Amino acid sequence: MSVTNRKGLDYWLPKLVLSPTIAITVIFIYGFVIWTAVLSFTRSRILPQYEFVGFEQYVRLFANDRWLGAMSNLLIFGVLFIAICLIVGLVLAILLDQNIRAEGALRTIYLYPMALSFIVTGTVWKWLLNPTVGIERFMISLGWESFVFDWIVNPQMAIYTIVIAGVWQASGFVMAIFLAGLRGIDTSIIKAAQLDGASLFSVYTRIIIPSMRPVFFSAFIMLAHIAIKSFDLIIALTGGGPGNSTDVPAIFMYQFSFQRGQLGMGAASAIVMLMTVLAILVPYLYSELRTPKNG
Amino acid sequence: MAKMSERRYSEITGRAVLYGILIIVAAYYLVPLLIMIMTSFRSMDEIRMGQLIELPRSFTLDAWHQAWNQVQIGARDELGLRPYFINSIKMVIPAVAISTILGALNGYVLSFWKFRGSELFFAALLLGCFLPFQAILLPQSQLLGWLGLTGSISGLVLTHVVYGVSFTTLFFRNYYVNLPGELIKAAKLDGAGFWMIFFRIILPLSSPILVVTVIWQFTQIWNDFLFGVVFSDPSSQPVTVGLNNMVNSTTGETRYNVDMAGAIIAALPTILVYVLAGKYFVRGLTAGSVKG
Amino acid sequence: MAELKIENVNKSFGETHILKGINLDIPDGEFVILVGPSGCGKSTLLNCVAGLEEVTSGAIRLGDKDMTRVAPKDRDIAMVFQSYALYPNMNVYKNIAFGLEIRKMPKAEIQAEVSRVAKLLQIEHMLDRKPSQLSGGQRQRVAMGRALARRPQIYLFDEPLSNLDAKLRVEMRTEMKKLHQRLATTIVYVTHDQIEAMTLADRIAVMKDGIVQQFGTPQEVYDDPANIFVAGFMGSPSMNFLECEVSRVDDGFAVEVVSEAQSYLLPVDPNQADLSGYEGKRVILGIRPEQITHVMPHVAEQPFVTKVTVKIEVVEPTGADTLVLARINDQECECRVHPTESGQPGEMMDMLFNMSKAVFFDPKTEDRL
Repeated sequence: MSVTNRKGLDYWLPKLVLSPTIAITVIFIYGFVIWTAVLSFTRSRILPQYEFVGFEQYVRLFANDRWLGAMSNLLIFGVLFIAICLIVGLVLAILLDQNIRAEGALRTIYLYPMALSFIVTGTVWKWLLNPTVGIERFMISLGWESFVFDWIVNPQMAIYTIVIAGVWQASGFVMAIFLAGLRGIDTSIIKAAQLDGASLFSVYTRIIIPSMRPVFFSAFIMLAHIAIKSFDLIIALTGGGPGNSTDVPAIFMYQFSFQRGQLGMGAASAIVMLMTVLAILVPYLYSELRTPKNG
Repeated sequence: MAKMSERRYSEITGRAVLYGILIIVAAYYLVPLLIMIMTSFRSMDEIRMGQLIELPRSFTLDAWHQAWNQVQIGARDELGLRPYFINSIKMVIPAVAISTILGALNGYVLSFWKFRGSELFFAALLLGCFLPFQAILLPQSQLLGWLGLTGSISGLVLTHVVYGVSFTTLFFRNYYVNLPGELIKAAKLDGAGFWMIFFRIILPLSSPILVVTVIWQFTQIWNDFLFGVVFSDPSSQPVTVGLNNMVNSTTGETRYNVDMAGAIIAALPTILVYVLAGKYFVRGLTAGSVKG
Repeated sequence: MAELKIENVNKSFGETHILKGINLDIPDGEFVILVGPSGCGKSTLLNCVAGLEEVTSGAIRLGDKDMTRVAPKDRDIAMVFQSYALYPNMNVYKNIAFGLEIRKMPKAEIQAEVSRVAKLLQIEHMLDRKPSQLSGGQRQRVAMGRALARRPQIYLFDEPLSNLDAKLRVEMRTEMKKLHQRLATTIVYVTHDQIEAMTLADRIAVMKDGIVQQFGTPQEVYDDPANIFVAGFMGSPSMNFLECEVSRVDDGFAVEVVSEAQSYLLPVDPNQADLSGYEGKRVILGIRPEQITHVMPHVAEQPFVTKVTVKIEVVEPTGADTLVLARINDQECECRVHPTESGQPGEMMDMLFNMSKAVFFDPKTEDRL
């Protein structure tokens, strides 16, 4: 039998196999983020150029009304989208957890929008919300003559239509996460609580929901991530309009970088978006790594 | 006795209310899909006379023909969504295949052939799962320019592979670390090497996660819009971009039935996957959110 | 078949030292058991022998070959794992044949070898089943079959019986002993179960904190423990440890015990320990429960036997014997009596303390005196 040294094929093969991905990570993820950061400190307009101007692009960015509007829209959309998705998802999961006969079928129905492209979702809701053909028209045809539901063409209200469509698409997914969390709870705890005389309601509010904190957390992270990246849904639903009333950072970044020749400012806005994601993510990862595995 | 029956009575109404709520919610999720389907089979004359939300009185495949290969989208010669649909297929197959293979190999190495720094690398790679892609759009478009891949399907494939590999690696790695490590030890003592263990032991055990990953990547890449709109030109745009251009072209009257048929065409592959393999689709979603 | 030499092996993960200078000489054909509490390093040592983990320093020799840096597949070692580690995608036949196939053995020979092993372990009828269709005991047999098929120089077992239920475990223990007697190959076997160690081993290495505390035959380890840890780890119920004072009596030494306000001097057998330096100081007396029994006339007359009256606190019948928990020197002390002789809790009872097998430890170093 041949005796090979340890540092033979099996020593460097794993490293070789991993090397393309290491290259991808170094270049396409970290390298490109740094590159974008560098661009954000330059005077770049239509083409990248490397004349550094310090924080000027950031100053211009935060003096730009469209950007400030985009940020406040993201805040409104993000808070409502996350909160409603969490509530709807949790309630649906709890309702579905009551030994429902057709659970499988209902779950399938609740979750299917997640398989759709945001562009498809946007297209459908664009026409449903359109006052001249959609829901408003339908209600009027039922005889409710004074019914008005024109949010999508109303600059004050248009951002809420994004929430409606976003919740429609993502709440089933939150339901799935919560349902998995509910099913993962040790049933003997629930039995013990019932023997202690707790009602079903207090079993949920006092024991089950508090013990799902990690699930809440990861659902929150996923939703926040979807909200900050949201681009396609808004493009398809309102195109950022009416006016700039549904502008969000992702659209701002796209338009300033690729349509208006403001690469430097586009890069600065991208870095601000990244920082927002990290600001949410880092505390999460930190607590995740610190606490020993829960379940 | 009276108390018993009273309790039973309230229990039954409770169940009825419960099912009622669940069915109403189901309707909320289903109605947009139903309207989409119904509208796509109606004629424009009928819609013009009435509205979107009503039962169809006519049935025609005209809108589907229009959306598929007759409607003028932008300024390109070929008509309809058909060329975009073909672009999406050309893009999604290699991108899913390459990113899945890479993910499987990475997961295998990161679970069973750890070396100094491999854990750190895995942690570093996870940023890719959370990266807002806006932060890499500018350098990536520059790089594609240098490689001569701007506006090509190959460029899109490259982009999707590069930014999908974080997720595929996460999936496979989290699946593999739950396989018993003694399996690998036993195989090593049996004399098997790196590739032998992968192909003879690990890969045959990977079918569940393979399905999850392929479905996840397929839906992600098929449904992508951002990379499609930034990195492609009319000859290589995927179907999501095609649909958006079709719906938002401002010329002439809005043809709701054609838009709806187009939306269904764009959604059909992922809906089909969802219907056929929903279990794995859900597993992918939750695997992506709840890290193991 | 070959002898195994483990020479000054150290293993550390960063700052944590798992193995601290392990030396073991295992002659050809010996059944050696590594036993110790979890975290003592016994499994790590086994993995180092297999080559699945690299040693930080030291050497591992098999026969006359230095195996320290040799890849596991080239060490000619077979291992049976706690989880059995059967390949779930292969049937029993394939599981056993896999290692032979990789070593490019001709098909006909593989077939012959698999059927030999299957016959030996009585698993012929399940060769085309998948591991998931087997019971725990059957999986265990297949795992052994996989190891046996290669006819390696040495077998390693990593807690192979710990996933079986109690009854099956006893059965498999006997079978394993028979198998070793028939094959007469070198076996290194890891377990945390001291009964398994006692019953199976030719020699036992008791480990704690990465150090071999004692390496000897089961009887040596049981009768002559090197320190309090070994004494307490081996044997069930565990040895009693009573701290007591040494005093001089006519022709030797005695230790003082107090029960129910009555003081007794237990004479020390000079063959067991020389306590000359400890007069007036405290030592730890180690005495096994079976050395404290109810009064039997033929025992009472033996030298170094003393009658002590104790108060019964708890009675635990085990069937064959009854364990009586009493309080001596304000410490718990377990005695083993015949079921019919035991009293009730709260009653007084006379016990014979037989000191001819008692051992003594230094209270500070915990080493044997």
